[in-house]
Amino acid sequence: MLALLFILFAGLAIGCALAVVAQRNPLYSAISLIGVFISLACLYVMLAAPFIAAVQVIVYAGAIMVLVVFVILLLNVEHDDTRRTRIGFLLPAALVLAAVLIAEVAFILVSVDRGSFPASSASSIGSTASIGSQLFTSYLLPFEITSILLLMAIVGAMTLARRTKELSPNARVIPGAQLLASNIVDSSKPLDDTTAIETDTVEEAARLLGINSPRDASKRD
Amino acid sequence: MEPQLSWYLALSAVLFTIGVAGVIIKRNVIAMFMCIELMLNAVNLTFVSFASFFQDVTGQLFVFIVMTVAAAEAAVGLGIIIAIFRTRESLDVDDASILKL
Repeated sequence: MLALLFILFAGLAIGCALAVVAQRNPLYSAISLIGVFISLACLYVMLAAPFIAAVQVIVYAGAIMVLVVFVILLLNVEHDDTRRTRIGFLLPAALVLAAVLIAEVAFILVSVDRGSFPASSASSIGSTASIGSQLFTSYLLPFEITSILLLMAIVGAMTLARRTKELSPNARVIPGAQLLASNIVDSSKPLDDTTAIETDTVEEAARLLGINSPRDASKRD
Repeated sequence: MEPQLSWYLALSAVLFTIGVAGVIIKRNVIAMFMCIELMLNAVNLTFVSFASFFQDVTGQLFVFIVMTVAAAEAAVGLGIIIAIFRTRESLDVDDASILKL
């Protein structure tokens, strides 16, 4: 029974993983990757790790993949454009990789044959309480380092994704109207003159600033 | 017949190799990023199966930490991808061969 479940979820995981690589459209790859995550979460439940399974679904399939799908939709690149032929040297690489894969799977299946799991699968190993008590006692230092890493990731992501060098820091933008500092429109004004000039549309503001209208930029493709 | 440890390890090896092949084959940055996530998940499966085999919670703890690192990597990596796309108007890694935004 458990073997049947294993074969079902492992087949699902491998099939979805192959689909991740085979799909041209990155959005379909992302959906297939969610399938891999869900089937791996089912395997974690079979391995008596319910907490990890829940975190897998919430963090990976929930948070990370939503972020990836959001970026795919934001960048809006559907066409995986015409493949220039790099296949020439990729084919030997693929053959070598397949050989390595078959070799390592055969090695694992032959040499690690005494792999029966302990019978007491009803133990409290994978429970949230045991993970939490270990995490906040024995492994407190990795936990704290991880929190610092997350803080660095927040700051780094904000710094990287922020749009810079677009407008003067004196520019005032409020919803519904474009309010521009007058020294942006007329550079002969002194720098600290922040008298607002109101425009109604983005095009008008772009024309006053002497930059290309964003509408024109979107019309280009 | 119960699933053996070697089954899980073999599945993990297969998933990891598919991820490596994807990183080599794919040219879209986001697709390569997803293949890296696939490799991380293969390693996580190994951690969890060994944790269950040895009845030790440490493996599951490190899976938790790997997931956190993957989340941080997703945030920073996607920020880099957006920054590259702004300047190069392309997601092809061959267009971003110069290490300069």
